[in-house]
Amino acid sequence: MSLIQCQGLNKQFAEKTVLHDLSFELPNGQPIALVGPNGAGKTTLFSILCGYIRPTSGTVSVFGKAPGSPELFGRVSALPQDAQLDPRFSICRQLVLYAQLQGFNRRNARIEAERVLSLMQLSDVLHQKPAELSHGMRKRVTIAQALIGSPELVLLDEPTAGLDPINARNIRDLVNEHSDNTTFIISSHNLSELEELCDTVLHLSNGRLQQQVDLTGTQETQNPLSYLTVHMDNCPTDAFIRRVSDIPGVKTVETRQKNHFLISYYLINTSPLDQALLQCIKDSQWEYRQLIKGKTLEEQLFSNA
Amino acid sequence: MPTASTLSNNFFRSLWIIAQFELVRLFATRRGLLTLFTFAIVWYFMLTGLVMTAADFIQQNASGNMSSMMLNSAGFGQLLAWPIAEFSAYWRLSLYLFPIFSVLFAADQTASDRDRGSLRFLTMRCSRDSIFLGRFIGQMIIQSILIILTLLTTFIVAVYNNPEALMASIQCFLLISANLFFVLLPFTAMMALLSAAVRSPRQAMILAVLLWTLVSATLTSVSQHWPIFEFLTYLIPGVHLENLTELQPSETLSLAYIPALQTLVLLIIGRFVMARGSV
Repeated sequence: MSLIQCQGLNKQFAEKTVLHDLSFELPNGQPIALVGPNGAGKTTLFSILCGYIRPTSGTVSVFGKAPGSPELFGRVSALPQDAQLDPRFSICRQLVLYAQLQGFNRRNARIEAERVLSLMQLSDVLHQKPAELSHGMRKRVTIAQALIGSPELVLLDEPTAGLDPINARNIRDLVNEHSDNTTFIISSHNLSELEELCDTVLHLSNGRLQQQVDLTGTQETQNPLSYLTVHMDNCPTDAFIRRVSDIPGVKTVETRQKNHFLISYYLINTSPLDQALLQCIKDSQWEYRQLIKGKTLEEQLFSNA
Repeated sequence: MPTASTLSNNFFRSLWIIAQFELVRLFATRRGLLTLFTFAIVWYFMLTGLVMTAADFIQQNASGNMSSMMLNSAGFGQLLAWPIAEFSAYWRLSLYLFPIFSVLFAADQTASDRDRGSLRFLTMRCSRDSIFLGRFIGQMIIQSILIILTLLTTFIVAVYNNPEALMASIQCFLLISANLFFVLLPFTAMMALLSAAVRSPRQAMILAVLLWTLVSATLTSVSQHWPIFEFLTYLIPGVHLENLTELQPSETLSLAYIPALQTLVLLIIGRFVMARGSV
């Protein structure tokens, strides 16, 4: 059974159409990214998948059930964008309530609340109220609530927005650690983060599905052209393009940002390019910072834009 | 895959957890305790300033034919029908004041949670029906506790003043608490419905006042012009209050079917609003 199936999904708010005829199917398994500019419809799609709002037309199913179905309680959870905990109750009381609603008895609900807070390294805020916490800590508590009961699917709407780099790193580690048992769908503007975490990317723009990208690299090997992305450390652009273009098999060398290059090359009948490239860099006495096999996610999504 | 029986059990379990949490909201939060404290002070002044004074007045005039005629002509004749003057005064006062308290107390059943987004945390774990009905039941439990507490204070004053009337006081206590429970049902259901449609308790209260006055005026006017539509006035919460004051104490529960049906209708509409709306 597929994780999510959408067929002809449309959503209108008054006169504005936010989602246009979305159709896609997502598999169970590795984390899935949802990307797109502001106003692309990511949060609306999340809200429909969570059952917060209904689509205007079309069908959507999660684990074969309509969003919001009782069969999905405890199996699916979410970090909704901008949702706040109740300021009148302690974190403990609210997380215990959520755990109880998921079927835990009172004692185990308390243990589960402590467990998910410890995952977020927030064990010491158990008895505090949301107003006593910083914005970042409140966000991490709301991520903790999404992990109660180890659900099979967790939808995270911009989980690292507003977090400091260390805590953003912790969230990414947590997603990596739990992705064997839980499928995460993550909406974010941080493409390098999504590239690091996800195998599948849904690209939305203006409420339309622009593309569904597979980052595992299995699709790219079908193409006669392969790519390397290299981030150099202060090297002359013209000289780099000239010398790399001379390597056998290289088709094009394009500059992106300062010191960032995208190299396309023919995979068939040539020796591995990465070794030749590193040798060329060494011979030229340049330094490189990063070598990426393939295109960056940003390049894949927006190079033709 | 959960069976229908498991889902049904989960529904009632969630409903009860939500209802219990309403009690926590009142009795274990600073704002809830402040509300209770304020209510206790207001009730103290009402008990000493209104109930006890009115009870003295009723007791002094109960024996005189002239006074009875005056009370009858002023529409307060049935005050004399209650065996204990304190309960007589409480009955008349609570019939009109407690619905107002009910609107105030029950205005925020789901509105703030919808605005804050915390309703989204709940709807991932239990059905909207269990949230809607759980909050309603929780509010009714809270109001029932308040009714019983205020009645207890009246009971203590009544028994202190009339030690020989202990059994009559117990009867009054039970009869009035049952009646008030039914009286407050449709008001609480009305606030559950309005709270499901808006994003703040203040909006719910404003809507309640507007709807209650406009709908009452419209339906009353329509029924006066076209008596065939008189049944529509039975949609208005509290429509039977005037009739209640004219009944003998033992007959008062005979009208309980009106608020019970009103509550049923309001909860069905409210459940529909809650299910269709966004959270």
